Amino acid sequence: MRLLIVEDDRKLAEFVARGLRSESFAVDIAGDGREGEGFIDAYQYDLLILDLMLPRLSGTELLRRVRKSHPTLPILVLTARDATDDKVAHFEAGADDYLTKPFDFAELLVRVKALLRRTPQERADVLRIGNLELNRLTQQVRRDGRRIELTAKEYGVLEYLLSNPGRVFSRTMILEHVWDQSFEGVTNIVDVYVRYLRRKVDEPFPVKLIHTVRGVGYCVRDSVSAAE
Amino acid sequence: MNHRSLAFRLAVWYALLLSATFALVGAGMFYGLEQYLRSGLADSLRRRSTQIEQILSEAPVDASDSTIVDSIETRLAPEFNNRFVRLTRESSGLVYRSGVPADRSFDPAAIPPSPPPWPARGIARRVGGLMESTKAIDTPSGRYLIELGASLAPIEAVQAHLVRLLGMLLPVLVACAAGGGYLLVGWALRPVDRISQSAELMSLQDVDARLPVVPSGDALARLSISLNNMLGRLRESVQTSRRFLADASHELRTPLTVIKGELQEVVRTETMSRELHDRIGSVLEEVARLEHLVSGLLVLSRLDVGDAQREWVDVDLAELSAGTAEQMRLMAEDRGIRLETAALRPVVVHGDRARLKQVIVNLLDNAIRFTPRGGTVTLDTVVNDTYQALEIRDTGIGIPAAAVPRIFDRFYRVDEARSRADGGAGLGLSIVRSICGAHRAEIEVDSEVGRGSCFRLKFPLQA
Repeated sequence: MRLLIVEDDRKLAEFVARGLRSESFAVDIAGDGREGEGFIDAYQYDLLILDLMLPRLSGTELLRRVRKSHPTLPILVLTARDATDDKVAHFEAGADDYLTKPFDFAELLVRVKALLRRTPQERADVLRIGNLELNRLTQQVRRDGRRIELTAKEYGVLEYLLSNPGRVFSRTMILEHVWDQSFEGVTNIVDVYVRYLRRKVDEPFPVKLIHTVRGVGYCVRDSVSAAE
Repeated sequence: MNHRSLAFRLAVWYALLLSATFALVGAGMFYGLEQYLRSGLADSLRRRSTQIEQILSEAPVDASDSTIVDSIETRLAPEFNNRFVRLTRESSGLVYRSGVPADRSFDPAAIPPSPPPWPARGIARRVGGLMESTKAIDTPSGRYLIELGASLAPIEAVQAHLVRLLGMLLPVLVACAAGGGYLLVGWALRPVDRISQSAELMSLQDVDARLPVVPSGDALARLSISLNNMLGRLRESVQTSRRFLADASHELRTPLTVIKGELQEVVRTETMSRELHDRIGSVLEEVARLEHLVSGLLVLSRLDVGDAQREWVDVDLAELSAGTAEQMRLMAEDRGIRLETAALRPVVVHGDRARLKQVIVNLLDNAIRFTPRGGTVTLDTVVNDTYQALEIRDTGIGIPAAAVPRIFDRFYRVDEARSRADGGAGLGLSIVRSICGAHRAEIEVDSEVGRGSCFRLKFPLQA
């Protein structure tokens, strides 16, 4: 899979590229709109990651042109604007997805994979880690065969963490996924819910599954399977 | 009527000035008329006096008194003409005195004799209600004193009539002047009124609006033009500062992404000491705060520019706030605070659902943050004839009265240490105010230190 990043901020582009390469994607970087256009004409890409604020040729203009020449190429737009207006405008101009800076790399990866349709199987009905089991159909959670009663938000947090075991989810990602953007910045709301979740899911058991990564967020990990 | 208004004051001055002028003119007229009438009377007396002089000088030396009296009565007819005539001879005393005049305006017998010496040239004097002209002449038959008089009553009657007329006209004139002046000033100031009304309707949301220019080519036109120029400069500076705020928060986002991303990768992949791990974690927490701050600033700069209203829908604040409260309930309970939403009644307003939710989240977050364990945060709705409101009440620490006007300012914190430790960016309430402003909602704050605060969002009823 070959990806092109069109981003004028070298450091950001390289950081994203490095992360994607470690997920075994081939990644090219173009530093401005014109260079990006040249790359797109010269090579065959599976996905385009496009910053909207570009020198020489604006991302918005490039987006329009690429949509015309490559109607099926998935395009993920990176932008520092998050007004709903802009969002609508960019979807209309042909963006497939949209990520607002500052973003978590994990979030970017989720979106990239989704756009590449690499992860259609992630939606299993039953999620399992260690002896913890979450059934998406009945919305029941069991550990060691015992039923655990969770509130809707606690269930939401746990389901999100379990959707990708071992991956660290930032508070912002959890907030946006389980609550919504309005709660960004609300004092430790995620921490409170995770604490309550732990009390029910982890406390009665010797093996702890929910882990805190300071400054980053939370992840669900079976300590046996991912020994540090 | 506003007693301090320009129109009122101008009208009063105008009326005063006009009354003074009128009084002066009136007085001038009064005395002018008096002089005219009196000199006319004096002239006529003098002419009669000359006639008597002629009679005396033409009379033969030996003419009897009755001949003289006859010709005086024939020539002058003093009773009929309401004149007083008295002729005195130096040697023998009174020769003739006219009788009671037709209009009975004076009694001839009561007129005191002229004191000596007899004037050789005629003089006019005032005796009782009479004007009298006195003159001594020498004739071959002896020295005579001619006294001629006429009543001043007719002149005084004319004067009294004039005074009455002026006295009646003055109030009418002043009233007309004041009323007319008031209307005129009001009419002259109407363009100013229009300018101020348009200025009133302007806000920072529509900095492109301009005042109507009155095409009069005078001070008013210049006023509206210079106000418009000032608006232009104001718009430029507002836009510059907005652009700066938007650009700055915007530019900060890319480096923040890199810092956060790199550090997260380090924490995730590198093996390191617990201490280093914690330090990086602490840096990441600060990055998260910066991120929050930057996004708050961006939200504000966007609200400054004025949100497009196309996403506006009817929103039930009761349902929205109850739902939001549910999402935060555990957080409140974790702090030992009861979240009360039972009193909510439907309150439907037109607006941006996401932004209104932001308002509720920010206010609830504050209420929960500043309420001690065991307290209550209550969501309530108020509906009356003029507005519908959402209330967020708490039993928290309250806000000192002096701080209340400033709590909506950017970066203002009532208690610096406490809010910072809590991770507050100091933008929550100014975002609340901006959003409310965009929805034409008014925020009222009642607060008492130690008792709690109440934030009331008043939405005017849609007319």
